[in-house]
Order: sequence, then C-alpha cells, then structure tokens
Amino acid sequence: MSTFPVFPILTLLIVLGLAPALPGIANRTKSALTGRRGAPVMQLYADLAKLWRKGVVYSRTTTLVFRLAPVVLLSTTLLAACLLPLDGQAAILGFPGDLVAFAGLFGLGRFSLVVAAMDTGSSFEGMGASREVTVAAFAEPALFLCFTVLVLATGQLQLDGMFGLPLAAAWPLAAPSLVLAAVSLFIVTLAETCRVPVDDPLTHLELTMIHEVMVLDHSGPDLALILYAGGLKMALFGCLIVGVLAPRAHQSRAVALAELVLGLGLVAVAIGAVESAMARLRMNRVPQLLVAASALAGFALILLLR
Amino acid sequence: MMLLGAGLCIIVLSGILARALERRTRAADRAFRWGMLAGCAPGLWAAVSLLVSQSPAPASAGAGAAFGLDPLSAWFLIIVLGVGTTTAIYGIHYLARERPGRRIGTAHLLLAVLITAMAGVVTAQTILAFMGAWEIMAITAYFLVVFEHEHAEVRRAGLLYLVLSHVCIIALVGMFAAWGGGVAGGSFQELAASAVHQRAPVALVLVLALIGFGIKAGVVPGHFWLPSAHASAPSHVSAVLSGVMIKTGIYGLLRVLTLVGPPPAWWAWSVLLLGLASAVLGVLWALAQHDLKRLLAYHSVENIGIILMGLGLGALGSVYHHPALALLGFTGALLHTLNHALFKSLLFLGAGAVLRVTGTREIDRLGGLVRVMPRTAWAFLIAAVAIVGLPPLNGFVSEWLIFRGLLGAGGTAGALRSASAAAAGLALTGALALACFTKVYGALFLGSPREAMVRESAAERGLVAPQLVLAAACITIGVLPILVIPAAMRAAAVVLQGRGAIDDVVAATQAASRISLAALGLVGLTAIIWLVRAGRMVRGGAPVAATWGGAFPTVTSRMQYTASSYAASLLALFGPLSGTHRIVGPTSFQVHTTDPILDRVGRPLWGWLRRSAQGLRGIQTGRIMWYLIYVISALLGLLLYLWLVAAQ
Repeated sequence: MSTFPVFPILTLLIVLGLAPALPGIANRTKSALTGRRGAPVMQLYADLAKLWRKGVVYSRTTTLVFRLAPVVLLSTTLLAACLLPLDGQAAILGFPGDLVAFAGLFGLGRFSLVVAAMDTGSSFEGMGASREVTVAAFAEPALFLCFTVLVLATGQLQLDGMFGLPLAAAWPLAAPSLVLAAVSLFIVTLAETCRVPVDDPLTHLELTMIHEVMVLDHSGPDLALILYAGGLKMALFGCLIVGVLAPRAHQSRAVALAELVLGLGLVAVAIGAVESAMARLRMNRVPQLLVAASALAGFALILLLR
Repeated sequence: MMLLGAGLCIIVLSGILARALERRTRAADRAFRWGMLAGCAPGLWAAVSLLVSQSPAPASAGAGAAFGLDPLSAWFLIIVLGVGTTTAIYGIHYLARERPGRRIGTAHLLLAVLITAMAGVVTAQTILAFMGAWEIMAITAYFLVVFEHEHAEVRRAGLLYLVLSHVCIIALVGMFAAWGGGVAGGSFQELAASAVHQRAPVALVLVLALIGFGIKAGVVPGHFWLPSAHASAPSHVSAVLSGVMIKTGIYGLLRVLTLVGPPPAWWAWSVLLLGLASAVLGVLWALAQHDLKRLLAYHSVENIGIILMGLGLGALGSVYHHPALALLGFTGALLHTLNHALFKSLLFLGAGAVLRVTGTREIDRLGGLVRVMPRTAWAFLIAAVAIVGLPPLNGFVSEWLIFRGLLGAGGTAGALRSASAAAAGLALTGALALACFTKVYGALFLGSPREAMVRESAAERGLVAPQLVLAAACITIGVLPILVIPAAMRAAAVVLQGRGAIDDVVAATQAASRISLAALGLVGLTAIIWLVRAGRMVRGGAPVAATWGGAFPTVTSRMQYTASSYAASLLALFGPLSGTHRIVGPTSFQVHTTDPILDRVGRPLWGWLRRSAQGLRGIQTGRIMWYLIYVISALLGLLLYLWLVAAQ
C-alpha cells in the first residue's frame, strides 16, 4: 500500500450512504408489481433517524453480551466493506485469502446477534436464533463454492485482485460458470439478507419469522445499528454480484462508480421482483433451496475443472 | 537436551512429592505447583529458542541419541509443556475439592508422568524410545480416565479407551516391524535412509501409520473411544487428553512423512478426505450432544479433521510438486494443532468450573451462569469464538492458512485443482460449529437459570487464572499471528525437508501483518461505535423491563428455548447421519444421541467377533500340562521354521 487509498475510501463512503436505500428500492418494487403504492424508497433513513433519537429499554435477563452485539455486528460489516473492491479495482484493506476473512466477519456478526438473542431468554428469540444458524449452515458452503469458482476462473486469491481485470479476462472462457455462480450468489444474498423466499421481513407473526424475531428485544439506537448493518450487508452482497456479472476493468473510476450504483439498484429491483413473484418457502424447504444454490455453484466448479 | 531432561525429572519429582506429602495438603499443593512451573521452563526455553533462532536447524542431537530436538519436535514440545502445565496447575484447585475422600496425589503424579511421557514421544529419535514413551503415555492416560472408577460408565469408557489404544499400538508395532526389518539400531535416521533407498514397503508403512496414529488422534471412523473417555476423566485431565494427547497422533503422522518423504498420491487424497469426513461428522455429532464434556470431545474429532485437511493438503502439495501449497498446508495443520490445544483446553477448564459450581454437565439443566461466574463466562466466550474460527482470534488464523492453501490449489493445473472443492466442506464445518457453540454458550451462560443448580458459587475461585492465561494466548495469536507463523513454518519445513521456498514465508508474514491490521481495525471500529452509541444513551442507565413474551403475561424460565430444541431443526435435516433418535410418547418426548459408528458398526462387529471366538475356548483347559505342551510346540515350530529358512 504505497499511496493512501483516497478513491476506495470515497467509494466506501458513497456506498455507506446509499446502503439504506436498497431495502427501500426492493420494497418499492414489490409494491409496484403488486399494484400498491408502498412506502417511500427513503423510508429506512427516516426510521434510522427516528430510532437513533429514541430511548432504549433492556430486558431484565440481558447482560453486556446483548448490548455489545449490535455494535459488533456493525463493526464487522464495516470491516467487511473495507475488504471489498467497491470501485471494481482496489480495496482499502486486502491480503491473499481475504475472502475467508470476508465470510468470517459476517460469521462473527451472526455469532454476536445469535448470542444476544439467547441472552434474552425468550423462546421466540431462541427459535429465531436456531433458524438463523440453520439457514447459515447451508448458505456458507454455497458462498464458498462461489468463491472457489471465482478463484478457479481468475487464479487470484485476493478479493481486490479478483474483481476487475482478471474477471473481465475470464469471462470469454468461463461465461457459463460465472453466470451459474452469479445466480448462486443471488440465492445466497436472499438468504443472508433475510428476504423472500427464505425469510419475510414484513411478517408480523413471531412464529413465522427468522431474522426479525431474533431482534425483538432490541430497541432505539441498538435497533438502528442492526437495521443499518442489514442494509449495508445487502449492499455488499450486491457488490459481489455486480462485480461478477459486470467486472469493471477499463472504465474510469467515476464511470465504474456509476455502474456500481446502477448495478446495486438493479440487484435491489431483482430482490423485490422475486418477492412479488413468489411466497416464502416452508421452513423445512429453505435448506433445499440453499442446497440447490450449492449445486449450481458446484456445477460451475465442475465446468471449470474439466 | 540436558536441560529438557532435567526439567522433565523435576516434573516427575514434583508429582512424586505431591503423592508423598498427601497428608500435608498445603505443602503437597505448593510442591506440585512450583515443581511443574520449574520443570516446564527449561523445556519451553529450549524449544522456543530453537524455533526463533535464525541459524539453520541442527540435523539432530547427535546420531544414536535416544532423544533429540528438531523444530518439529520443538513445536509439539511447546504444546505439551505449555498446555500441560497450565492444566496441571488448574488441577490443583480442581481436585482439592475432592479431599479427603480421594487420594488426589495419585492423580497429580499420573498427570506429571503423562506430561513427561508425551514430551518423550515428541522428542524420541529411536523406535524403542518412541514406543516406550508411547506405551507409558497410553497407560497413564488410562489410569487418569478411570480416576472416578466408582461409576460404571467411567470404567466402561476406560476399557474402550484401553482396547482402542492397544489396537493402535499393534498397528504401530506392525508399522515399525515392516519398516525397520533391515535396520540395525532402530534410529529414525536409519529408518529415513531405508525409505530413501526404497528398501522399506512405504505403502504398507503409510497405511499402518494412518490406522495407528489416526485412531490415537480420533479420526472418523476410529474416533468412537474418544468422547466417552474424554468426558469421563476429571476436567483438567480431559483438557490434556483432548488438547494435547490426541495431537501425538498428528505428530506421529508428520514424523512418518518426514522420514519417508513425499507419499503416494492416493495416501494424500485419503488423508484429505478422512479429514473432511472427521470435520463435518465430528461437528454434526457434537451438535447432537446433551452432555457438555461429550460435546467438547466430539469437537476434538472435528478439529482433528481440520488439522488432517491441512496435513492432507501439505502431502498433496509435496506429491504434485507445489512446495508453496505444501508449506501452507503443513503450517496450517501445525498452527491449528497449537490453537486447538489452547482453546479446547480452555473450554474443558471452563466446563470443569461449571461442573464444580453447579454439579452437572447436562446442558439443558443449566442457564444464566454469566451472572454467577462472569470470568469463566467471558473466557469461555473467547474460546467459543476462537474454535468457530472467527476473526480476530487464533482459530481464524490457522483456518485461514488452510483455506488459503485449498483455494490456492484451485490456481494450479492438473488433479490438484479439485482439492479446492474441499473449501466448501470446511465452510460447512465452520457454520455448523457456529451453530454448536452459540447453542452451548446460550444454554450455559445466557438467559435465566433453568433449574436452581448453583451449589457453591465460590468454587470458581482458583480455577480462573489458568483460564485467563489460555484466553490471553488465544487473543495474542489472533491479533499478532506474526509471532507464531514463522515458527510454525520452520517446523513445517522439517516435514518438507527444505523443499519450501523462502518467498512463501515472506508472503505469509506480509499477509499476517494485514491480519493484525484487520484485527486491530475490528477492535477499533467496535470501540468507536460503542462510544458513539454511549453518547446516545440516557444517563443513569436505561430502563429495564421483562423480555418480550409475545403479549403473554407469565413467562417462566422453563419456557426458554432449550439446547436440544435449538439444535433439533438442523439435526433433522441430516437424518440418520446425525445419530439422534426420538421417542415420542403420549405425554413424553425424549431425544437420544448415539454414535453411528460405535452403535451401528462397532458394537455389532464386536458381538460377532465374540460369538465367533467361542470356538477357541476349548484350548483354555486350565490344566498346566496343556499349557506346557503349547509352549513347547510353539518353540519347536519356530525352530523348525528357522531350520527351513536356513536350509534354503
């Protein structure tokens, strides 16, 4: 790292600013496709501002673990953002094999949120935590198979070495594999960001929730941190998908940034379109969907291993 | 070497003192504590100075010596002495509560001998020294496992352990017999020379090594003795058995690889696949357990699997001439061996403290212990995050090395590329481990107590300091991996016999400094967000209310999600592979956990063996005449054989 990474930091700030709009776009798409007006795209910004000003109520059974969890969740998500080459070329922090750290940071965020849910001693939140780790157990191998496909296609082990030029060069040779990997990544994104068909963010019954029921007892700024980290997570996975489908190699950085913003919007629209097209799956069907995602990535891998 | 020998003598001596001064409890405890500390220091000093010195490693401590130290031995010696001493000191307080009902001096003496024997195993340079130390290790471990021998299940677990540990001794004797047939002195150097000149049947040696050392290490399907034995021993002994003793199997495999050079490709692939099977099945079976110590023991099976994946990758790298990958694989395996020794013994020490405070190991009866024993709870949390392999702790560093090696295999050409698919298996293992340790931590320490189990909350005192030492080691390696990666690479270079490239070491240390940066960044970001959020908080503390109970007014602690129900949805997806079976009655519901290998394969096989051996009972007449005839006819038969061989 010879020069100070000015442009990556600028891109990161823009993505950090835009992240809360993505769930809004997804929800707005869903409303439009089902013939409703729906909430404004900027709804989450208003929610975050409101929650940040509100007070907090803690459950009697909770400990420091519960208070620490939202903070750890956000800091891991922010650090994961630093590993990703958001402008398509350079990350703020990169090292060989940093994709393991990328997954590991989300793992730590999940660990803290799940442990916080267990801290409340509520059976609802225990149930949500159990479902969360069950879904994650099947999403994780799919994510790593996608990573393996990217490594095999580009020969690079570092996230910011892989996206951009090497991936653009790999497209003519490995197009089918990369498309399959992108589809698999999209399914993983649906699971990781708790959207239909894995989880429904708009449900109002505790028994049917996964992610929402885990954070029932968080309130005020704590909940704001969790909601913001959720939006950011969607943005980061969106960046992965955009990076695979439209590697930005030769553009100027401004054009690359514009492409990224457009791509993220399209990913959010796609998430909304999936939500309006299908209902959520039965809980015991969700792993099958994720195994299917693993299978897609596995096929992509086999195509490359020929 | 003299230093190490003197230190080991002090360790044994302190054990003898602890036994001899049984009546004078304070003097015995003090003698054992200071004796252990003084005894481990010279060995640790010798090992550390060998690993950090820049000079090329000495070939060996003189030909013909029974014991010697090279970087590989030194690496394992650090694990044996460091973790062994910490747990032995914990054991002083842990066992003191059993006085005067039990002669605990015996346990201290046995533990001292066990640690000495393990140090002997990892430094032995001849077959005789190795097998002698190995046998002492196996036997003392047996006596420690059956320490609480008044319980029938402890005796059963001990017997199973004893039988299996002798199966692996038979395999090892067979291995050395096949290998050292033409070797006069039986030193490891001569064995290496016989392998180089291809006089030894390398394939047979490697298969027997995999069986013998694999059973010792607890690799699926040879793992089934491990959970019951490790759960039955006193907790600090469990920590030594699970954290250190099973690693002698890993050491054995690495030493054999050092001596025979690059193995055949099929062997390397089988090691990788066995590692994958152990990792995934071990964590799955761990998830199903209700008993805290059995759960931790199954996690050792998982982690041995991860170590074996690194070892298999290293072997594959040397088969296909990719020294960089081989170095990554072996280094990852070695580092994970150290890391697992640290966090697994920490977990067992935490489990011991929980057992002392509450008197139970049943996960589903506990809860809310963070309020009763906060320091143990935080140390346990550190160990849990570390064992799941999450940043910024030490488990992440070694898993990162192995992941990097596996993914790096994807960048090569030829058959080795398909090894990269194993990364998905390792990811599945990590995600299941996350499920398992959130279950344990949540059920044990968080929420509210399920039953009023706290017997004496003061029992935690004296058990905390060793836990904090191990937790500090986990954090240090996680945040500053640069401290250990070069040393691990020196040890791995012994296995590779100098085939590694210096560039890889430089690249790894550079990446290690980036990991430090990321770890510090994580801590810094967390602190900043915490402070910003604290600015938003009401002064004088936030209002407190009951947990949201879905608008249901009377919520009791019995209504919490139990550990069993937490794991149920995940286990159900794996079907019979998970080994759980449910018994649903009209008003009752039970979940039983079995070990699929022990209960579906091991026991039926044993029953068949016993039935078919009935026919042999006729030769046991009980009359001395017949036994003399057996002896004489065996002697004559052997003489006849020698005569026939000589006649040819």
